[in-house]
Amino acid sequence: MISTVKKAIRPVWAARAMHKSAVEVLKQPVPEDTVTASFGKFISELKPQHLSPVVLHRSKRMVLDSIGVGLIGSTTDVFELALQHCQNMYAPGDTSSVYGHRGIRLSPILAAFVNGVATHSMDFDDTWHPATHPSGAVLPAVLALSDMMPANNKPSGLDFLLAFNVGIEIQGRLLRFSNEAHNIPKRFHPPSVVGTMGSAAACARLLSLDPIQSSHALAIAASLAGAPMANAATQSKPLHIGNASRLGLEAALLASRGLEASPLVLDAVAGVAGFSAFYEDYVPQPLQSPGNDSHMFLLEEQDIGFKRFPAHLGMHWVADAAASVHKILVGVGPGTVSPAQVEDILLRVPKSKYINRPFPESDHEARHSFQFNACTALLDGEVTVQSFTPAAMSRPDLHALLSRVRLEHPNDNPANFNRMYGEVQLTLVGGDTVKGRCNTFYGHWRNPLSNDSLRKKFRSNAEVVLPSEKVERLIEVVEDLDQLRDCRNLLSQLQ
Amino acid sequence: FPLLILGITESFGAGIHALNTSQLTDGVINRSKRMMLDTLGVGLLGTRTAVFNKALKYSQLFTSRERSSVWGQSDIILPPHYAAFVNGIAVHSMDFDDTWHPATHPSGAVLPALLALAETLPSQPSGLDLLLAFNVGIEVQGRLMRFSKEAYNIPERFHPPSVVGVMGSAAASAKLLGLSPEQCIHALAIAASSAGAPLANAATQTKPLHIGNAARRGLEAARLAQIGLKGNPAILDLDRGLGVYYKDYSPSAMADSAVRAYKWILEDQDVAFKRIPAHLGMHWVVDAALAAREKLQNAVGKFDLSQIRHVTLRVPPSKYVNCPLPATEHQARHSFQFNACTALLDNKVTVASFGDAQIGRSALKELLGKVSLETPEDNLPSFDKMYCEVEIATHQGPSYTARCDTFYGHWRKPLTLKHLVDKFSVNASSVLCTEGVEGVIDVIGNIERVADCSILGSYLRMTSNQEHLDRMRIL
Repeated sequence: MISTVKKAIRPVWAARAMHKSAVEVLKQPVPEDTVTASFGKFISELKPQHLSPVVLHRSKRMVLDSIGVGLIGSTTDVFELALQHCQNMYAPGDTSSVYGHRGIRLSPILAAFVNGVATHSMDFDDTWHPATHPSGAVLPAVLALSDMMPANNKPSGLDFLLAFNVGIEIQGRLLRFSNEAHNIPKRFHPPSVVGTMGSAAACARLLSLDPIQSSHALAIAASLAGAPMANAATQSKPLHIGNASRLGLEAALLASRGLEASPLVLDAVAGVAGFSAFYEDYVPQPLQSPGNDSHMFLLEEQDIGFKRFPAHLGMHWVADAAASVHKILVGVGPGTVSPAQVEDILLRVPKSKYINRPFPESDHEARHSFQFNACTALLDGEVTVQSFTPAAMSRPDLHALLSRVRLEHPNDNPANFNRMYGEVQLTLVGGDTVKGRCNTFYGHWRNPLSNDSLRKKFRSNAEVVLPSEKVERLIEVVEDLDQLRDCRNLLSQLQ
Repeated sequence: FPLLILGITESFGAGIHALNTSQLTDGVINRSKRMMLDTLGVGLLGTRTAVFNKALKYSQLFTSRERSSVWGQSDIILPPHYAAFVNGIAVHSMDFDDTWHPATHPSGAVLPALLALAETLPSQPSGLDLLLAFNVGIEVQGRLMRFSKEAYNIPERFHPPSVVGVMGSAAASAKLLGLSPEQCIHALAIAASSAGAPLANAATQTKPLHIGNAARRGLEAARLAQIGLKGNPAILDLDRGLGVYYKDYSPSAMADSAVRAYKWILEDQDVAFKRIPAHLGMHWVVDAALAAREKLQNAVGKFDLSQIRHVTLRVPPSKYVNCPLPATEHQARHSFQFNACTALLDNKVTVASFGDAQIGRSALKELLGKVSLETPEDNLPSFDKMYCEVEIATHQGPSYTARCDTFYGHWRKPLTLKHLVDKFSVNASSVLCTEGVEGVIDVIGNIERVADCSILGSYLRMTSNQEHLDRMRIL
């Protein structure tokens, strides 16, 4: 069965001192001037007092949203499949909770996996700039690991938030090592690259690993990172987040047992690729340890985007643009656009193959289709969770509109979540055109969801699987997470 | 999708499904049995390494209803994925496992997964079923490596077993599970999202996990495909599919598997088996160093370290095996300099050469201080084309130079059966009792006639009394 992990300070180190190989390690100089070592040091030495009020506030919003999308995600087919796999392959664990499934517990690694899959199952989770889905890779692992800690030594809410923020910060830092990372990805799916590293960092923090062990956790994680973009828009995509979460946790656990890996994994070494293997251009920067001063978290400089409906971030621009066209056509109040009125629909969007799908066949594809999301918003005035059900997807009116769509990729519309826009131009039968444009959708980091909107989204998601008392309690617990003495209050509400 | 787009991945799905035992030729059977035997031997020896023990302790956190054996352990069982994981780690733990061209370690990614999976099946596969699945796993790896020119050279970015190994494991596991062509496609697609580990972790304690993870995650991909998970059915066709791991990528369909005489890659291109538990490149430099040493000894009458003024190694350019002063066994296995000097010092390089005491010898360090590396332009970083030259310059004046183009064990100069079996026996005897050692040799030697391959598992668990006693002591 699962052995519980103590947050004790160095029993492993003391035992190793008996062995000759450890003496050898002590004799060697520690390479402190490497980028890799600086990351290990940061992870190990960051303290709760380094979390500013802004970072606390923003990260609590991320925790709440991530739990909500994980809860609704636990009702999807792909989640069921992942859960079934874990239950088939492994004996029942009794350690870590599974989102929204009362009575089911799994071993921590597997719980991190299925909860990660749930989080990304509907593409409803948060997005950052440079592009990745940061929370889904980190939160499930931190929750699972917290469940694993002994009952008399559970992390406080602040420890929990600190570990979470370490996981987010590390991802942000790594994304800034390359220009390639700033654009919508083409090769590796970013959560599979930086998400795994973030999870390893967060778990290393929660396990109180020392700087060297923390850097080994990152290096071990690098060998578990990387999945190709081709599996985006398929049923396998959610596993990228599930795997990032679980493999990062695994890397930290292996490092805590003394497994060693490359001490230069983040550094740029000619002729031997480390983390640089995942990027065409790569310029790493060391991370300053905060010491007694505060640390400027990237989350403070660059906020997160939360999604209003479960689809790829790019869809939100065209949906908002199409919604404004819908509004013009039908006036205020309910009404529909009839395909018979429409001659042509022109979408001006960035060029990105994996979100250009004229006739999506599965919900996974529909969530990655400019055309589908624009037409849905034209028809209904909005895109919602329900828009991706088989019934909604097979509507004849929708298909009629889809067949009238063309795409254009203007030069001034880059494939970049910070600079792109979405434009919808409808040509009506008769010749009139109606245009809508969205530069910044509501929920983007430039126009963040209000706390009310975020809670509304959370309630709507969580109430699908939890009773409303639990839902309200979760909202309260996360709101006061940094004051919580023991995070069990959080852990017990998830199912 | 138009059928054209699905062509390549679809052909692999069809091929994995359709290949059958009647297509196994004598040549392929013979070569793959050698690979299986060698892999089991190095795996058994590897179960006594530190990295294996860490992985085993970690894996013992998990339990399952299904139970698979850990090689060289009489009473430990693990969930099949974790058995594949630790046994795969054991195989690669000392860099003693087979190497192919284009470069990868093909067997370690496949055999541990197959044996772990076989133990869970309701009806035990025959030896021939196992042999077929194994060859499917090898064949798929070979085919994938031929999709890029980059794969033909000593790697610089991704460690090849982490790219093609996981695909081979998925293919082999899908074969043994009898998945449909469509499920085989998805097994490959799912496995692709588990591929790719950077080369920087080579020469560290984590490198063996690349093979362990390839085995385990390929098996996992096949099982997920079995319960219906889908990925991109054009995963091999697309640049943004498997192509992400290569700078140049030009995939092609698998040959028609419906033909009577299927042309296996293994038939055309054999593997190399190692005589030394170190990176393949070390074998050239060791053979060259031994020959240069002999020249010196023949000329002068006796060999004396103090005669040596300087040693020049002429090797292909490859950063991760250029390590002037290794500090760990992992670095030592990836060091032209270390292996050349050990050969000069001891007149041999063996399993024992990589212990901490050996690495730390002052005589060795002194000699290492006299070594320089050159990378001549005609020395290409390819296991098919490279050479190594060792030049010993003496204080007395004359220099003694020797060159190795093809070491004994390379596919151009394969180990004899006797030497292969000897290597296995020495390795396996460190862990198994005589009955176990001989049992494995017997089963593998006759595997195409074995009705129920679970007998192999029982031999792999027959540890010697001494081994049992050793394990009772502290680590």
